[in-house]
Amino acid sequence: MARLELNNLHAEVAEGDEKILEGVTLEVKSGEIHALMGPNGSGKSTTAKVIAGHPAYEVTEGEVLLHLEEGEFGEGIEIDEDHRTWNLLDLEPNERAALGIFLGFQYPAEIDGVTMTNFLRTALNAKIEEREELFEDDDGDEDADEEADEGFETSPMEGPADEGEVGVAEFQQILQEKMEALDMDEMFAQRYLNAGFSGGEKKQNEVLQAAILEPSIAVLDEIDSGLDIDRLQDVSDGINALRDQEGTGILQITHYQRILDYVEPDHVHVMLDGQIAKSGDASLAAKLEDKGYDWVRDEVYGTA
Amino acid sequence: MSAGTQVHANLTEEQVREISGNLDEPEWLLATRLEALEALDDLDMPDVIRTPGRDWTNFHELDFESLVDPLNAAENKDQVGPEDVDVLPWAEAVDEHEALLEEHFGSIVDPQENYLTALSTALFSTGTVIYVPEGVDAEDVTIRTEQNSRSLFNYTLVVTEESSSVTILERQATGEDSEPRAGDEQYYSGIVEVAAGENSYVQYGSLQNLSEDAYNFTVKRGVTDTYATIDWIEGNIGTQLTKTEVSTELNGDSSETQIVGAFYGHNDQHFDLDVKVWHRAEHTTADLVTRGVTDDVARSVYEGVQDVGQDAWDTSSYQRENTLMLSDESEADASPKLIINNHDTEASHSATVGQIDAEDLLYMTSRGVDPRSARNMLVEGFFVPVLEEVDVDELRDDLEDLIAARLRKRA
Repeated sequence: MARLELNNLHAEVAEGDEKILEGVTLEVKSGEIHALMGPNGSGKSTTAKVIAGHPAYEVTEGEVLLHLEEGEFGEGIEIDEDHRTWNLLDLEPNERAALGIFLGFQYPAEIDGVTMTNFLRTALNAKIEEREELFEDDDGDEDADEEADEGFETSPMEGPADEGEVGVAEFQQILQEKMEALDMDEMFAQRYLNAGFSGGEKKQNEVLQAAILEPSIAVLDEIDSGLDIDRLQDVSDGINALRDQEGTGILQITHYQRILDYVEPDHVHVMLDGQIAKSGDASLAAKLEDKGYDWVRDEVYGTA
Repeated sequence: MSAGTQVHANLTEEQVREISGNLDEPEWLLATRLEALEALDDLDMPDVIRTPGRDWTNFHELDFESLVDPLNAAENKDQVGPEDVDVLPWAEAVDEHEALLEEHFGSIVDPQENYLTALSTALFSTGTVIYVPEGVDAEDVTIRTEQNSRSLFNYTLVVTEESSSVTILERQATGEDSEPRAGDEQYYSGIVEVAAGENSYVQYGSLQNLSEDAYNFTVKRGVTDTYATIDWIEGNIGTQLTKTEVSTELNGDSSETQIVGAFYGHNDQHFDLDVKVWHRAEHTTADLVTRGVTDDVARSVYEGVQDVGQDAWDTSSYQRENTLMLSDESEADASPKLIINNHDTEASHSATVGQIDAEDLLYMTSRGVDPRSARNMLVEGFFVPVLEEVDVDELRDDLEDLIAARLRKRA
């Protein structure tokens, strides 16, 4: 069980003092699906980026906490008492990822020259390794010695000789299974990361990456935008599988009610002007579709 | 205007006669060398990019007098090729192919083009001649030069007859038992001429990995006959200062060239790279692609010229250059130029200089990759479009390894 807790989160653009988040409070638990809705510029994407650790934003107030229970990462990782709560704002993006945070990007980067397979296997192994370090006992002198010994076995000339926890063959297997489940063409595996992908392919690829990294909490920023109906179905199946099979908690940022027909939210939040203005169950989304955001604005601020 | 007052003070006709005599050269070759020596007085340094207040590459500051040691040329050389191709050390080529040398030597790169080509012509004491007879397909010609002396002047001539093909891999490095000790400066000078006969194919790959105390001046130029192709691959990793030109004159109808370049400068390395193509016939095609990285306080200057002549009907000419700066203190200047004198031309040219994209980096780190590995993957990925164009496996693998090793040495 994991719980992501945003407490009175304030953030602004790091260069300049434009305030974007003005006290966001929100909680997402394993196995829950939350929809975060709101008009353009209300702060939805910024919320996602701050959770992931985007360097363009500076948090001026509030906190982002991740609470973990024993067993969250399986039997191999022991989570002792003083490693149960993490202040994500103190951590690098890759450390947050190692703790089970995943951000699905609204505009995934196109990375030329790096194949999907190579990238994802590197990410998976890096995550496993970083996680072990984060939960390592502080007095782990033995481990340090071991690492020093290993250093002599691989020369820098040989490049990334270490196979990592998950070897090439094993990874191929995992990748193939997950791609089949998402109805993705095998050839994606050998293509460069998002390079020349259509908008829909990129989004599908984000869900694939989440499926492979098996996050505790996934924040999906407009994963549904620009998808045709078939792909929307595939992506939705992928998100539901994340929740049902991995117990991932989902914070889904969206403009449109459409995806909520396929991925039914337990909670719906409406964001206005950098704050959560209203929360409710799935019926709130339907009401928004009908009445628009001004209705929430009227209700919250009492203005026309 | 004289550029070279500082160097020829210690150069004499006697020295040039001795070099030529040791190689048993004919009179006309000695004469060419002596003319080059004499011309030093009146020749300028090669053109370099200037921006206001600054010469990006300043040869005048080099102390040629102490760098150039004309009668002391020590090297380790491998010159290997298949049996049906002549891969000859210079002295042997003089003996066996005098007519060929007389026809081509100095016909593509004018010995008196500038001060440094003249210096090279007057003083070169080592070289290779590669002759590919009609219809012969030859892969795996390799020329490996390890410089062990203070200065080394090298000359290479490639001649391919009709419908032949050849792949040549050239490397320059500094010998481990090099006579100048670590920290001593060295000077390497190389001229390469390629005469590609009708319907022949030449692929010439070069990997320069000299010591970072070395200076390097290289001109590689080829001329195509009808339907001939010359493909160049130019890898620059070593030296403290490199000035290279890689170029093709497309003189034959329907001839083609591709020039692929990769460089990685760190510390205070300085690379000055010229890439040029002259379209001088009909239906010719050129594709120029260079990518490079600068780190620490390294500098790169790139000048690419596509020159389409008046009679070059139906020309296709493309040029792309991208430089990635890994540090705030490194510098890069790029100038792609397109000169079109025939309207029947399809051409493009572009150059970019940039840094690693913060969004790309976040994308990767947010998936769990640590920042250092993410950066290394991005840099290695940056070189991939260029490396994919490299057909010679050995050269591509070596370049990849050198790039990876340099990246991993980085903090």
